[in-house]
Amino acid sequence: MKEHEDNYMTEQNDRHMRDTLKQSFPPVKTELRRDLWLDVLRKLDARQVGVPWYDWALVGLSAVMFLAFPQLVLLVAYHL
Amino acid sequence: MDLLQRFTHGEIDAFETLVRQFQGDIYAWTVRIVRDPGVAEDLTVETLWRVYRARHQFRPDGNFGAWARRIATNLAIDHLRHNRPEQSFPAEPAGVPQPDPLVQRETHQRIQQAFRRLPAKLQVAATLALVEELPYNEIADALGTSVGAVKLRVFRAVRLLRKCLSQAGIRPE
Repeated sequence: MKEHEDNYMTEQNDRHMRDTLKQSFPPVKTELRRDLWLDVLRKLDARQVGVPWYDWALVGLSAVMFLAFPQLVLLVAYHL
Repeated sequence: MDLLQRFTHGEIDAFETLVRQFQGDIYAWTVRIVRDPGVAEDLTVETLWRVYRARHQFRPDGNFGAWARRIATNLAIDHLRHNRPEQSFPAEPAGVPQPDPLVQRETHQRIQQAFRRLPAKLQVAATLALVEELPYNEIADALGTSVGAVKLRVFRAVRLLRKCLSQAGIRPE
């Protein structure tokens, strides 16, 4: 019976909940206080400077190779 | 080449024009959902950054505003999901009359807290539909779903909230 009451919502109940929520959540100011372009630009620059994942993967792979085959260091040094 | 085409080709001047044109709309939409101006500004910047990053996926004949708003909505949902209040509130005896303004304010705070503990997708649908009273088709468009699905989310949000408030012994006036 209780569950049935919970499930059964009249339009009046909806309106009541809407009123309750409107009282509990005061209106917010929707005007933007400042221009965000510089923030966006800064974020774009910051992310572009970052090293891509495949570069890190290459560094990791090189480290593993040098640890597994130390003589490779000499070979690479010779070619550099 | 028009503005949106130049944007999809990565022209920063075109993107700047779009940012200046749409930042207010994106912010207004986001602040209605998260209800915190500082957070809404951060999310607007993040939205615009993602918009630029995803520029190749945008069709120049599409609706830029609606596309950006959908990205903003998804970010706002993620924010709410990761910032749900952890603590539940202590129950108080049901049926206590609340004439005192202080008690009423506390009741509103508890209702807000209960609302913030709803699943993020239900919370967003209910905020936009019940608190902001926006049209269901506008909400559906921003959520990338149907009007029926939005109505269902609002229904579930109200039912869950009512259950939660009832368990905590809160009776809204």
